[in-house]
Amino acid sequence: MRTLRRYRIFLFTLPAILVIGAFFVYPILLSLRLSFTDFTGVGIPNDVGWKNYERIFTRSRYLDAFTTTILFTVIVVVVQTALGLFFAALLHRLPAVRNLCRAALFTPAMMSFVIVGYVWQFIYSPFNGGLNSALAALGLESLQHNWIGDPNTALIAVAFAHIWMFTGYTTAIFLAGYAAIPSDLEEASKLEGARSWQRFRHIEVPLLAPSFTINIMLSTIGTLKTFELPFIMTRGGPDGATRTLSLHIIDSLFGKYKFGFASALSIIMLLLVVLVAYVQNRYLRSREDIT
Amino acid sequence: MKLKRHVSTWLLSAVALMLVAFMLLPVLYMVIMSFKSGAEITQNPLGLPASLDFGNYINALSKMNYLRSVFNSIGITLSVTVLVSFIGALAAYPLARRTNPLARALVLLMALGLSTPNFVTITPIYVIFRDIGLLDTYLGLILAFTALNLPLAVFFYTSFIRSIPLELEEAARLDNCSDFRIFWHVIRPLLGPATATLSLFVMLMVWNDFTYPLLLLTDESKFTVMISVYRFVGNHNLSPSDLFPAAVLGSLPLLILFIFFQRRIVSGVTAGAVK
Repeated sequence: MRTLRRYRIFLFTLPAILVIGAFFVYPILLSLRLSFTDFTGVGIPNDVGWKNYERIFTRSRYLDAFTTTILFTVIVVVVQTALGLFFAALLHRLPAVRNLCRAALFTPAMMSFVIVGYVWQFIYSPFNGGLNSALAALGLESLQHNWIGDPNTALIAVAFAHIWMFTGYTTAIFLAGYAAIPSDLEEASKLEGARSWQRFRHIEVPLLAPSFTINIMLSTIGTLKTFELPFIMTRGGPDGATRTLSLHIIDSLFGKYKFGFASALSIIMLLLVVLVAYVQNRYLRSREDIT
Repeated sequence: MKLKRHVSTWLLSAVALMLVAFMLLPVLYMVIMSFKSGAEITQNPLGLPASLDFGNYINALSKMNYLRSVFNSIGITLSVTVLVSFIGALAAYPLARRTNPLARALVLLMALGLSTPNFVTITPIYVIFRDIGLLDTYLGLILAFTALNLPLAVFFYTSFIRSIPLELEEAARLDNCSDFRIFWHVIRPLLGPATATLSLFVMLMVWNDFTYPLLLLTDESKFTVMISVYRFVGNHNLSPSDLFPAAVLGSLPLLILFIFFQRRIVSGVTAGAVK
């Protein structure tokens, strides 16, 4: 009777459990079930065994999408973390302009992927686009390029729009990490005559390990499922250069009504995200303990 | 020595401000371009517009169904905020006050929700919604957004409630109040700051999200702002005199909000990520 009383309070979690069950647990299970069928959205699904998965792992277009997604993620995570760290280290040393700059850098994160996608699509446009016009104004016509029309540059161009959007976010998280560094530690190193760069390298970077963990994990999970920017800016083109896994999912779903196949792709994606998050988490957390 | 340090700080600040201004150029570009006609863009693709002509805006406003979609977005945001904060705070209370295997299992369940990419669940949600008639309804979209924001809300409230001293509950417990009455009369009135930050979160997410309304809505009168922008601008042959005013109109409400609440938004979003 007393145990019953102790657990009665958990009735409060019932609505939340229902919502999570209906929108996460059940859909994941249904996805898993559908991934072994040829369901087209109507009628009764037929079992097809591992055929959908076989297709994913034998057709080069899906392996390419896999590579594209990973490449995109690596570019974004590396550049965005480096840029965010740079801005945070700079602003940490400049209390007078810190808040203003932090807010200004954060502004793009207030905008929707849709709008960022459209604006950057025009910046990259070969017809009076902002980037080429700016190059012309600087006398650098030779560098003009069809940025998202060329398969060699399209992925990097889309990745930069993404990085531009979230650099302020990364900076803000690093700055929060800086605020947690004990100030006497910094004073002591200053008194001992450590130069700015030495302080950064030997004190700040190791002590920022938890911020690295959060930033890298957040941006990795956020970019692995990237859909909106390539959807708006390039539709996966040119020549599949920006076709990510999530773009394939939406395509199979609403372009071709291959619900079974889309489910298989999304299960692969879930496994990818879980695997990457697990490995990263273990590695980054162990880094935190060393310091 | 001191003077030298002052000068270098000033110089460094100037460099920082310039770099940040450089990062903001695309936003400035968006605003400048929104006032130019197609012909003006060809002649003068970078400079300031010759005159402050609102013609592009009038055209965009009339074709985008803008006000209607703004009201839709606001209505959906409010509903989601109410649902998420009530369900989230209620679930967070036992999770914050109890540490037993059940509480730990529930935390894991919430973590599962937090880390599942929405692409994994979008196919089944579409099928389920179609079968039970929630496709193309406000209710369906509200429920989907509620589920998307709920795990974060639970974590957010859990850590907030942990910071509320237990002593506040003791008196009520001595009076033999039920758990729910304690939650309602003691805990809930203290949750204001957490709910305020959370609602900024929800607003940002609902206003800017593209995937859910794109897949779940077809009736134009129910469109959220981003879907209106998307349908108005389209995918082929972008016309800059359509694109830029639509982009400004789509981001303006949140940018204005950001100017007033920037400190709270930045620290709230960062805190939400850190927890």
